[in-house]
Amino acid sequence: MSNSVISVISRFLEEYTSTTPNKLKVVDAYLLYILLTGALQFLYCLLVGTFPFNSFLSGFISCVGAFILAVCLRIQINPQNKGEFLSISPERAFADFLFAHIVLHLVVINFIG
Amino acid sequence: MDRSRLYGWFLLSLTLAGAQAVTPAHHLSLADVARLQNLLSQPFTDLESAYHSVIGLTKLGAAVPDHDQVCQFIKSQLDPTSVDSIFFAAETSQAISGCEIPVSNETRDILLAAVSEDSSMTQIHRAVSALSSLGLPVVSKEVIGALTARINKEDNVMAITSALLTAARLPQQAEFGGILEEIEDLTARLDDLGGVYLQFEEGLEATATFVTAAYSLSDHVDMEPPLKEDQVIQLVNSIFSKKSWDSLAEASSVASAAAALSSNRFHVPVIVSAQGPATVSHSQPTLQLLVTDVMSQPLASANVLVESAYAVASKSIILSQAPFTLNDGVFELNFMSTQPASGYYQFTIAVAGDSRLVANHIELKVKVSTEVAISNMDLSVVDKDQSIGTKTTRVDFPSKAKIPFTADSHQNFAMSFQLVDVNTGVELTPHQTFVRLHNQKTGQEVVFVAEPDSKNLYKFELDTMERKSEFDSISGTYSLYLIVGDATLENPILWHMADVILKFLDEEAPATIQPKTLYVPKPEIQHLFREPEKKPPTVVSNTFTALILSPFLLLLILWFKLGANISNFSFSPSTILFHVGHAALLGLMYVYWTHLNMFQTLKYLAIIGSITFLAGNRMLAQKAVKRNEKK
Repeated sequence: MSNSVISVISRFLEEYTSTTPNKLKVVDAYLLYILLTGALQFLYCLLVGTFPFNSFLSGFISCVGAFILAVCLRIQINPQNKGEFLSISPERAFADFLFAHIVLHLVVINFIG
Repeated sequence: MDRSRLYGWFLLSLTLAGAQAVTPAHHLSLADVARLQNLLSQPFTDLESAYHSVIGLTKLGAAVPDHDQVCQFIKSQLDPTSVDSIFFAAETSQAISGCEIPVSNETRDILLAAVSEDSSMTQIHRAVSALSSLGLPVVSKEVIGALTARINKEDNVMAITSALLTAARLPQQAEFGGILEEIEDLTARLDDLGGVYLQFEEGLEATATFVTAAYSLSDHVDMEPPLKEDQVIQLVNSIFSKKSWDSLAEASSVASAAAALSSNRFHVPVIVSAQGPATVSHSQPTLQLLVTDVMSQPLASANVLVESAYAVASKSIILSQAPFTLNDGVFELNFMSTQPASGYYQFTIAVAGDSRLVANHIELKVKVSTEVAISNMDLSVVDKDQSIGTKTTRVDFPSKAKIPFTADSHQNFAMSFQLVDVNTGVELTPHQTFVRLHNQKTGQEVVFVAEPDSKNLYKFELDTMERKSEFDSISGTYSLYLIVGDATLENPILWHMADVILKFLDEEAPATIQPKTLYVPKPEIQHLFREPEKKPPTVVSNTFTALILSPFLLLLILWFKLGANISNFSFSPSTILFHVGHAALLGLMYVYWTHLNMFQTLKYLAIIGSITFLAGNRMLAQKAVKRNEKK
């Protein structure tokens, strides 16, 4: 059983490194970073309690929001999905990504206290 | 036909309402007159104070002491070039006999020159009064012309009052028409306070001077002033409510007003008051009234009579049209001769004899008091099942029963008595008829009410079983008292009738009676401030801050490994502008966190954002073009 899991994972990793274009890998690295940051914040909250609850929330939501926006960007610039996003060029996707981030950061900074 | 009848009823009800007229609440009692005289008799400091003192004392009818000294003082203080000085000197010398002020042609010229449109109203008043007092001729037409012109320019209350006083000094044939109308105008300006007071907002002196001026001018032209009876009484209330006066001018104005209201030709307010309390009894059967004017001078020619008197309780009329007899300045009526029952009576008294009298119908509440006697006081101990006969003991006031009574749980203690009026023998029901039991040892007392039955026989019964909670079940010897009291009784009674020994079952240990501790300081409340939340130690939070920043390092490493670079960076202006704008946005976020509020941030965001957007748009368009070219 575990054998098949390991083999599935190694195959997946192999295919990932060979087939994904570099651009997407850059975005994936960014996604990993955001994920780790969010997870660490959550861990801290579990350990020491939610004292400045607003600060915890804004930090955590910032990570979650950034993750979601980055995922959207990744979907939109993936050349394999071009058929579904005919009207949205990669540049447009990136511009949307930046604009959404500005709004997200405005709200996060307002709430962080 | 119906409408006119309704109208008639309406008018009738209005007149009936008007019949509840204002009654004088204040006047100058003899003590007040003495106090006023005292104030006015102070030694003079200057000519004006001499004027106020002398005029005030003269109006009160008091003698001015030492006329010669006053005359000397006036002559020495006189300044013949000043209109004010001449006025004060002239008026004062006129009030005291045998004092002549020397008059020269210059004096006369100065005074006549002051009578013109260009002088102030006060100046005109003083000049005309001085001319009149010194016996110099005055041209009425000029004066009235000047007054009318000044009234238009100086519209205030004191000025118009001075105009009225000036007009009263002119010869009677002058044409006063316009000036007389000013009395009505000024009356309209008075402030009505609660229907009781009527006064000018300028104060007491203005109101008092107005009254003096209005009546002196009205007397002079022999025309009734347009003041209604109610208004006159309200003015009386306002002027005489103040019993200590701030200045000589105020005091002399009050004295002048009092004189004007006592002796003018049209309205003389009457003050009716009972001498002492308005109470009659067998020992004092006459009701005595003082009928005076506002200065407490008795009205000699008055006829006082009781229009009607009725009992407040039963509303039956006792007296009708009964006259008072004048006895040594006091009006008396022997009320007890009609043998009224004790209680309160409402009298309506009318003062007649002079058509000028104002407020000559008054209501007075008179009390008839009497003495009470207790008769047929029977005390008994009654058995509850009434198997054993009752033992009744008669006690006579004020002695005490010789043997104490005993009552335990099987017996009731009973009492019956009658209260009668000593003089008439009528049964009375006073307000307070209490039975008090006082424990001699513990000091506890219990009070009950004795109630009369339909035949006015008082009965009281004490059921020891039922009432044991009131006594706290404490057995012992209790003193028995009867308390009788009422406002109309002259001899309230506290009578120690007997001693009663009460025996209760289930006796508790007699607790000492503690007074209720209501007014001791209460325990102090300690305020608990909000505890700050528990925070983790700084080491922990610093560690985690470092931990959270570590994925960023990982990101940089990964990007480096993937070969992400900025080699494609084109140094076009839009690119640079975009990156600068983007950096500025991030900086704005930090500044927002530390310094700004949302509104300021939005403002800056709009500016930087639009620049960044335009630059970024340009840059990305260029990039897109480049990408399409590559394909």
